Amino acid sequence: MRHSFHRRLLISLALLALLGMGAWAVNQALASPKPAPASQISPIHPAFPLLDAEGQNVLDSGAALSLGQTCGACHDTAFIEQHSFHADLGLSSLTPPGETGSGMPWDTSTGLFGKFDPLSYRYLTPKGDQRLDLSTAGWLQVMGARASGGGPATTARNGQPLLSGALSQPEASILDPVSGQALTWDWAESGVMELNCLLCHTPEPNNAARIQRLQAGQFGDAVMATLLGSGIVEATEDGWAWNAEAFDANRALKPELARIQDPTNQNCAQCHGLVHESSEPLALAACDLEQPQTATTGQVISAQRINQSGLNLSDKASLTHAWDVHAERGLQCTDCHYSLNNPIHYQSGGDQQLSHLLYDPRRLEIGEYLVRPDHTLARGQSAQIGLAPESKATMRRCESCHDAVPTHRDWLPYTERHMQEVACESCHVPQLHAPAIQAADWTVIHADGTPVTDCRGIEGDDTVTDLVSGFQPVLMQRTNVDGQSLLAPYNLISAWFWTYEDANGNVRPVRQIDLQAAFLVEGAYRPEILQAFDRNGDGVLAEEELVIDDEASEAAVRAQLAALGLGNPQIYGQVQPYSINHNVVRGKAATSDCQACHSEDSSLAAPMTLASRVPGGVLPQFVHQGNNVAASGQMAIEEGVLSYRPDPQADGVYIFGHNRIHWIDWAGALIFVGVLLLIGAHATLRVINVRRQPKHAAAATEPVYMYDRYERFWHWLQAFTIIFLFLTGLVIHRPDMFGLFAFRHMVTLHNLLAIVLVANALLALFWHVTTGQIHQFIPRPRGFFDQAIVQAKYYLHGIFHGAEHPFAKSYRQKLNPLQQLTYFGLLNVLLPLQILTGVLMWGVQQWPQTAAMLGGLPFLAPLHSLIAWLLATFVVAHIYLTTTGDTPTADIKAMVTGWESVPVQEGG
Amino acid sequence: MSRNLLLLLIVLVALLALAACGIVAAPPGATTTTDPWAFVPKHPVPTDHSHIIQGPFESGPDVTRACLQCHAQAAEDFMHTTHWTWESQPVEVAWRDEPVTVGKANQINNFCISAQGNERQCMTCHAGYGWADDSFDFDEPANVDCLACHADAAIYNKDDYGLPAEGIDLLAAARSVRAPTREECGKCHFDGGGGNNVKHGDLDESLYFPSENLDVHMGRENFLCTDCHQTEDHAIKGRLLADNIHIDPAEQVACEDCHQGAFHQDERINLHTQSIACQTCHIPKLALKNPTKIRWDWSTAGQDLPEDHYEYLKIKGAFLYDKNIQPTYQWFNGNVAYRYLLGDVIDPTQPTALIVPAGSIDDPTAKIFPFKVHTAQQPYDTVNNILIPPRTAGEGGFWTTFDWPSALALGAQDAGLDFSGQFGFAETTMDYPTTHMVQAKENALQCTDCHGDTGGRLDWQALGYPGDPMTWGVREVVKRATAQPAASTPVQP
Repeated sequence: MRHSFHRRLLISLALLALLGMGAWAVNQALASPKPAPASQISPIHPAFPLLDAEGQNVLDSGAALSLGQTCGACHDTAFIEQHSFHADLGLSSLTPPGETGSGMPWDTSTGLFGKFDPLSYRYLTPKGDQRLDLSTAGWLQVMGARASGGGPATTARNGQPLLSGALSQPEASILDPVSGQALTWDWAESGVMELNCLLCHTPEPNNAARIQRLQAGQFGDAVMATLLGSGIVEATEDGWAWNAEAFDANRALKPELARIQDPTNQNCAQCHGLVHESSEPLALAACDLEQPQTATTGQVISAQRINQSGLNLSDKASLTHAWDVHAERGLQCTDCHYSLNNPIHYQSGGDQQLSHLLYDPRRLEIGEYLVRPDHTLARGQSAQIGLAPESKATMRRCESCHDAVPTHRDWLPYTERHMQEVACESCHVPQLHAPAIQAADWTVIHADGTPVTDCRGIEGDDTVTDLVSGFQPVLMQRTNVDGQSLLAPYNLISAWFWTYEDANGNVRPVRQIDLQAAFLVEGAYRPEILQAFDRNGDGVLAEEELVIDDEASEAAVRAQLAALGLGNPQIYGQVQPYSINHNVVRGKAATSDCQACHSEDSSLAAPMTLASRVPGGVLPQFVHQGNNVAASGQMAIEEGVLSYRPDPQADGVYIFGHNRIHWIDWAGALIFVGVLLLIGAHATLRVINVRRQPKHAAAATEPVYMYDRYERFWHWLQAFTIIFLFLTGLVIHRPDMFGLFAFRHMVTLHNLLAIVLVANALLALFWHVTTGQIHQFIPRPRGFFDQAIVQAKYYLHGIFHGAEHPFAKSYRQKLNPLQQLTYFGLLNVLLPLQILTGVLMWGVQQWPQTAAMLGGLPFLAPLHSLIAWLLATFVVAHIYLTTTGDTPTADIKAMVTGWESVPVQEGG
Repeated sequence: MSRNLLLLLIVLVALLALAACGIVAAPPGATTTTDPWAFVPKHPVPTDHSHIIQGPFESGPDVTRACLQCHAQAAEDFMHTTHWTWESQPVEVAWRDEPVTVGKANQINNFCISAQGNERQCMTCHAGYGWADDSFDFDEPANVDCLACHADAAIYNKDDYGLPAEGIDLLAAARSVRAPTREECGKCHFDGGGGNNVKHGDLDESLYFPSENLDVHMGRENFLCTDCHQTEDHAIKGRLLADNIHIDPAEQVACEDCHQGAFHQDERINLHTQSIACQTCHIPKLALKNPTKIRWDWSTAGQDLPEDHYEYLKIKGAFLYDKNIQPTYQWFNGNVAYRYLLGDVIDPTQPTALIVPAGSIDDPTAKIFPFKVHTAQQPYDTVNNILIPPRTAGEGGFWTTFDWPSALALGAQDAGLDFSGQFGFAETTMDYPTTHMVQAKENALQCTDCHGDTGGRLDWQALGYPGDPMTWGVREVVKRATAQPAASTPVQP
């Protein structure tokens, strides 16, 4: 019994333990969802020691980390820095001010380091300038958050290291925001920021700490700060200290901390824009320049369905597609923006591409690549980044991954033509659903020093409580590197600011510090400014009062600026197009309705609001970027709102259903209606005369077989085809008036009918030639004009008095001289011309050059319309004249049955 | 003359037709799919029985006899179905010499465990009158309870042993008969496992008045259960994994019954259907409205602990409930690889799967399918290593005595098992395929739910893939199947 009891106890205990373990395990499993696997950590990156600038293990020296030494132990960091526009940011392409091709007399490069961006409104002062705004040190403090290190963060403009000591101004100074004076900057104390590999190649770099160090001017600590919180280095009272626990026995970083990876979307997001990858509802701050890409374009990289975001979007329930289809399909930024010598993605493009070779298998070994990975990343043809022009268009674009023709051919008429003229994004990014900056007005400032800004796509500024409508990008013609011009979507950001001339006559943007001095004194508006702007006299400047819209306000600011010693202050306005290439949608979310473009309100010509104010009445200028984007439209101010209306026709894009030449339609209609009126008058006179005249015995008639069966067939077939060509043509020409019909089907039908018409015309010609009937159409020269006059007299006079037809109609001679003349013109001029213009228009996608040689669609299409009007006029006249036979219906009957009653011919 | 005119007309009409064909032949996004509505049954106009049926009725069987006067074959037909027998046809299984049957009548689960011996409560949901023990006459047509499915659920209710509840107006119930609606089916099926949504996770009382986002068929299109579970002679399509060993596809409901062809607008998604069940993407979560039971620990039952419907009941033990649960995914070909049969010996050191869905990555007919997994601690004989169903609701059962040894002895006796008297609690699991609460494409899974670094819904390596098929490619059997046609055409060097 005891034994059994013991055994039972043991078993019970074991069971209990087991049970507890089981329950615990289940609880654990239930309570906490599986932790996400450590993502993308390279399984083959070896453990490595951290080295200082001398190449010593930091555990020994306790010195600062040098990535040049640490990463450089295996990777060629010098090569990487030389081949990285993320490091360079414009340093190596600095020019004297005004020579960058941007049209701005103050720009010194096309990159972040040297191009004046009125959104951040700080100016990197060029060498030799009178007034200092940003020195290199100041630039690093203000803009360093978007710099990855290296380039201008380590190298002076003359190519010498910043730490070499041989620096010219303004690199050794900094603007003191309090005194406005240039102070000396001690680079030896601040240190410099070497290229920060960790920022892009580790999973959770501490960017906030990095930025904080940069703002504090501790550039040398910025790289270290990236590691704070990782357990490798700890902040101490007097700086930082290495954590010995983070290193293994070989004094290398422990593998679990050496988390080196390919850059993820989150790495890119740190500087570029909003990337949202969790299942939490997406949230964003409207027009927040901390996420420049999202702020300037409204682009959001997220796989989340838009309706599941946390934004208060209009018509949100219907937005069931993802923000970005490529994000939804699991693509990473680096899948398209890859390293240019990455053997997986590398492609030789442009003129390096051999015409017979689709794929070149001779690639870099992966090891060679890893030693010297080109950090010039593939990219597209965007407008706003002019940096490293040689890397433009190196990226695979839509068409190098997608074969769009098979997916469009079955529903999109003129597929190739569409692809030639319209960038994929134009239809596949029809709407941005996040707000984007519209305008920044720096001609005035708020009391806190900020400009008056406008955000488009939101009624207010909070994306959760205010309604977000998003915006439709404007389409502008972008000329690609290969010379192809396409309509592509852009956001236009306008900015106004004051410029001045310095003592050397250089035009520069007024410095922020001067602007503040002009407007403010001790944090409040100057009385002179308040007086000029405070229109309602309440002593407070409301947002709508804070605008330069009259001479008094402009003069007041100008006076203040002049008082600061700024010469010739002027308001300058600019429009910067921001290219939109992300947030691609597919399927129904993309534009597939023909009338979205082929209509009066074509989205290809949809205007975009530029600003709700025009400071000083200054129309802004488009920023040139190597003529990449053509702004051929017009600006217009309506009720104080400035907008830009694109003009596709000026770009050589003729949009059926949208473009037309008004005078041609008017002239055509006038001729058509004029002839109708003439017919009406003629018919009325005929009727009156028939009534007035005594009925005399009808002349004897006899039936004559006038039209062969084939003649009648081709005639009616042609009549039918032409009528339907008119109808379908009308729908194509004015879809807004005939919305009942599907544009797409009308185009197809019009083409089919045209084929029938041409075939019928050719066969009829063949028949006429072979049967000799062609002679009927050829006017006989002798006495032709006399006969024509006789016939004309008949129509103008004789017909009203019951006179006989001057020329008897017979099987051999069906046409009178006037008819011969008309048909001669019709068949030799109008019809061939109409067929020719039609074929050329159809052929714009097959032989674009031929069509372009002959004036392209902007010439061909209006001509086609004009001839159509003339042909229509002929048709009504033709129908009317058929009633002038022996009886009003005799001719029509004849064309149906073949038999016509004609007056008995004497001796006939 | 008129002949010529006619000829002309014919030519013109032919031409027009040609043009029209040209247009119609290529509508946007043309596909060769069949309209799913073609397979949805039309609902016949119901016959109002209120003037046909004359009472009075003394008992349930009286009502049945009245029904049979007109629907003479109905009971006979019904008695061949599992709604009546609660038992499958005999099937050969690898681990038994004799053919076996499974069903609620004779097998166990890891919820209330067993109906045998507990007929008083369990048979409340049997469509018959008075199934109390083995003596129930399965051949007596009058024992069929027509009202269980056909009477308005608001008027008719069943109680102990499936007898009409006290105070039911049988005449009113009989006069309310109709084709079953969600109310009638839901009365039992929404409360499987002993309460709302306890068992299935995808079938609960929220489906009485479903919103569009709860179930696209029932919510957006107002489907009845019988629109998919189509019925012929009372044989209803649709088989539960737990109550069957061999499932004939002809008896099962499948999405493809109505949704045929490559109808996704996205070619990539159409390719997914080679390895992914419709349910996997279109049922991202289960237990959307009401929590479902995910764990039942019988071992703690019988104690005087604070009671809470969702946490602990003295008669049942401790539970875990959860809602908005991500399903568990595994390969499934629609059949059963293993079903625990009473008397099967278990390994008490390992969790015992009472049901193992058939299928693997190498099975071309298997697809990744979502399941609700229910785990339990349930009693077993520690000497014989067999699971023992306790008598619970039955007389002298655990729910009245709270005494395991006697309840298990009675339960073993009910089930015809040897019970050593020694017992413990073993870990068991049951997988319930998730197939209701279907979401429209707007709410279906997206690529990144499973693929890429941010996915994580599917454990690729556990499923047998070398890695995420987005980058590693499809499984071998699909590769082989799709490679075959290409192999027959000579390849140019």
